[in-house]
Amino acid sequence: MQIKEEKHGDVMIVNIDDHLDTAAAPQFEQRLLGLIDAGERKVLVDCSKLEYVNSAGLKVFLLAAKKLEPVKGTMIISCLAPSVLMIFEMIGFTRIMKISPTREDALRAFGATVAT
Amino acid sequence: MHEGSISIRIEADVREIERLNRLVRQFGELHDVPSRTLYAVNLALDELVTNAMLYGFDDASGKDVLVRIETAGHELVASVHDGGKPFNPLDVKPPDLNAPLEDRELGGLGIHLVRSLMDQVTYRRDGDQNVLTVRKKIR
Repeated sequence: MQIKEEKHGDVMIVNIDDHLDTAAAPQFEQRLLGLIDAGERKVLVDCSKLEYVNSAGLKVFLLAAKKLEPVKGTMIISCLAPSVLMIFEMIGFTRIMKISPTREDALRAFGATVAT
Repeated sequence: MHEGSISIRIEADVREIERLNRLVRQFGELHDVPSRTLYAVNLALDELVTNAMLYGFDDASGKDVLVRIETAGHELVASVHDGGKPFNPLDVKPPDLNAPLEDRELGGLGIHLVRSLMDQVTYRRDGDQNVLTVRKKIR
């Protein structure tokens, strides 16, 4: 798995790809939680290239959402592939996390300007 | 779907799971297992094998886990065998999916996925082995 970060205004976009599994989860946890510790409050996780997630990866999303809530931060997860979205639904995360079909929708939800 | 079976022995190291997934996918494609079924079985096996590797052994070095898959009739049956401490993951409390974010617990997500993805999950202790068996009907 590769993790690439980019800043769009005050939104921190984190792009992840391939497999978010038990072997990859610690690296993702360190990066994502590290960004929140460093003060990022608008975090967009772009999953357009993510093919697979297991419970170790899901746990990282839950940890990040739990960390952001008390500091009034927001995480939006965008572009989940149907098979990955099914897993998010199965585990009940679509009820407690913000999911966006596209990156542009997510950026708009953060109040960022999006070039059309 | 064609009838067949495979046994895969992997080292008790989470980096081996990607290799397991690849072998399961190859087996599935060769036996015409529908891709949705294959995805579900792969994820369920990932969760069960990870559990066995991380919680079963005090020292996992030199240990291994055996995975068996069989396609018969309209059903796929897979089992995970490990020589770790007796542990039945089905005893783990299921997560409360209706809990608000702050109360959502981190544990139990994996076994919940296994139960949701498979039609049946059973545990038995067989001698010094934990054996978890999952079944999935092909529709």
